[in-house]
Amino acid sequence: MLARSAWIALGLLVIALVWEGAIHAFRIPPYILPGLGDIAGAVAVNFAPLMRGLRATLFVAGVGFAAGTVIALALVLAIVLVPAIEKGLMPLVVAVNSVPIVAYVPLSLIVFGIGPASKIAMVLLGAGFTVFINALQGAKAVDQGAVNMLRSFGAGPLRVAWLLRLPGALPAIITGLRIAVVRSMLIAIVAEMLGSHDGLGRIIYEATQQIDFLRVWAAIAVASVASMLLYGLLVWIDQKLVWWK
Amino acid sequence: MTRSPFLRNGLVQVAPLLLCLVAWEVLARIFGSTHAVMPPVSTILLGIFADGNTLLRSFGRTLAETVLGFVPAAAFGFIAGALFARVRIAERMFFPLFLISQTVPVVAFGALVIIWFGNGIMSKVAIAFYLTFFPVTVNTLRGLRAVDQDKINLLKSFGASAWMLFWRLEVPHALPGIMAALLLGVSLSLVGAIVGEWFGATVGLGIVLVQAMYAEDMVRLWGAILLCGILGSTLYGLVAFAARRWVWWGGEI
Amino acid sequence: MPALAFNVPTGVQPEVVAGGSHAAACGASVEPAAGNPPIIVLESVSKTFDAHGHRVVAIDGVDLRVDEGEFVALIGPSGCGKSTLFNIVAGLQDADSGGTIRFGGERRKSTELLGKVSFMPQRDLLFPWRRVIDNVILALEVEGMSRSDARARALPMFAGFGLSGFERHYPNQLSGGMRQRVALMRTFLFERPLMLLDEPFGALDSLTRAMMQRWLLDVWQLHRRTVLFITHDIDEAIFLGDRVVVMTARPGRMKLSVEVGIERPRHADIRTSAAFLEIRKTLLAAIEEESMKSFLSESV
Repeated sequence: MLARSAWIALGLLVIALVWEGAIHAFRIPPYILPGLGDIAGAVAVNFAPLMRGLRATLFVAGVGFAAGTVIALALVLAIVLVPAIEKGLMPLVVAVNSVPIVAYVPLSLIVFGIGPASKIAMVLLGAGFTVFINALQGAKAVDQGAVNMLRSFGAGPLRVAWLLRLPGALPAIITGLRIAVVRSMLIAIVAEMLGSHDGLGRIIYEATQQIDFLRVWAAIAVASVASMLLYGLLVWIDQKLVWWK
Repeated sequence: MTRSPFLRNGLVQVAPLLLCLVAWEVLARIFGSTHAVMPPVSTILLGIFADGNTLLRSFGRTLAETVLGFVPAAAFGFIAGALFARVRIAERMFFPLFLISQTVPVVAFGALVIIWFGNGIMSKVAIAFYLTFFPVTVNTLRGLRAVDQDKINLLKSFGASAWMLFWRLEVPHALPGIMAALLLGVSLSLVGAIVGEWFGATVGLGIVLVQAMYAEDMVRLWGAILLCGILGSTLYGLVAFAARRWVWWGGEI
Repeated sequence: MPALAFNVPTGVQPEVVAGGSHAAACGASVEPAAGNPPIIVLESVSKTFDAHGHRVVAIDGVDLRVDEGEFVALIGPSGCGKSTLFNIVAGLQDADSGGTIRFGGERRKSTELLGKVSFMPQRDLLFPWRRVIDNVILALEVEGMSRSDARARALPMFAGFGLSGFERHYPNQLSGGMRQRVALMRTFLFERPLMLLDEPFGALDSLTRAMMQRWLLDVWQLHRRTVLFITHDIDEAIFLGDRVVVMTARPGRMKLSVEVGIERPRHADIRTSAAFLEIRKTLLAAIEEESMKSFLSESV
């Protein structure tokens, strides 16, 4: 564990050196690639608005993620209990998802306005879909032998779902959650860029309009760190919750 | 009269979709007004045909951006993954960073990409490239690494060279994973192209979307969404078809 | 039905009878208690599957009878329908019409048997996310018992199953033999008149298997259930069973039923006794005939 961290730290150091080195060696102007120190400075200068923006983004991403997950899991449970639902639902799910999710953002903005609701709706769609696909796969991949064994004890389908399918599908569900949490941040920011009162995406949009490239970098840095931390949190949850793998 | 099971299967899959479209059409006509959020399907389709030329150009432009970004990204991703597989130090230092970088909201870089590459097609291509490059690299590396030592030893005992090992064992082993990354990548490339257009472009489906949004032209908006869906599914379908035809041994390796 | 001994104090050892007659080994009498009907009687039971348009007759007209307290071993070549038969007796699949099933003297449809038979499938199917103690009480939980009650029931049995100290372990921390014992304990805790064991020792190496066989007999003698046991191994079948039944190749039918008259308790050295070898010869001939048929016609 320590060795791995050491290697990663080394890698970060190399990238930092190459970054700064390239700027100096090729005399790259700051509007193309600012120095790391400059970015850090910009974050510090804009700290308060960046944190406000981060909070807004985290809010819509979080609510959408939670709501999407709940709906996705409820649908999977419904399918487990009534398999016919899958036949009717899947073609719709595939059709809706064949459209790249960003294409729905303008629609969401018109229907739900510029406020948080439109972002939450988008994240719900994006995160919900990811969790749904993964959870469904996990629930279906359950060992038929184990299902039969529980049936031989006299367990009904709900019991089987609770005792076997849920814990059995948990690894797949967590994988879905990991992917979804990153997607949630991404979708929230993209939606904010197109139309929002607040949020990191809005900051990026404004900074671009004002050609304040340093602020763009600062916002991206904050967004990146936040995404990484969230992802890391999910990885930790994965290891804690799915301890038997 | 007997229908082939293939046909029957296809109908079963499409039926719920058709049902929804019909319901949409009917409900929209009953409850709708000209500025309804969900205009009737027929109106949308007519709108597409009415504006055929512009939409076709937009479609083609976005298609080009996607493909021009995707194909090189796939190739470079494969090469990068293979290099990482060979050079252990590089892998140890950079691979975890690669993984982490996938969590970075890359699309936010769109603004900067415009600064770097200007307003033309190259900036969209660059975004599409970036989005595909990383998943392909990651999956290539993983797949190449995951070959079990016994198989390697077996080929070595037959006198296989490193080159032969690579092409005849490691690459086929990695292909299912690479295909998965390509499927993901083609969708991401399209996303990158569309969002890239939002940052600065004159032609493209992303532009049509945004223009329709500002004009609150729901018919045009839905038309654009539909076209994005067609573009996305077609590209995805092509990659999936290629995957099925040439990499049929997927699943657990 | 007599009350089945369950929470037996762990220090009890089965009586070791050196030599002596069959009747003297009365700790393991095979004769059913007077007046009690056989646990299960199958008459002309068949099962046909529709696989991709082909009709596959898995079993055809199986007749089988298992008396209370008996230990019946079932052998047959691969594909003979043993598992199908088990699935039917466990109530997981229904049999074709035309046959009869009598359970505890009453006529039943096979689907009514679900939950009435204690079934141990071939793989241990332990839940990796549950500790050993929670795995063994799985059936009791399904029955509706509270976890604490079920755990209290199970804990005294751990020593008898050689699992003392492993109650709070997770399955992936146990060896193959131990996992099988956990699975067997789960099966025993599900108190039903009939136990079906589908090749429980198949995946173990022969040393472990030999030990598990002796251990199973000890446990069975303590708890005295009726057991129907599938195996590939002739020696195992003779060593364990009161009776060995041979199934034919597909479509499966009962070919032969041989009483194993060897007294209990049985020791390892009986495997070389004259009586054992005699039974073995008979069974071997029957099995080889069927195995050859199965081998030659293997289309799956």
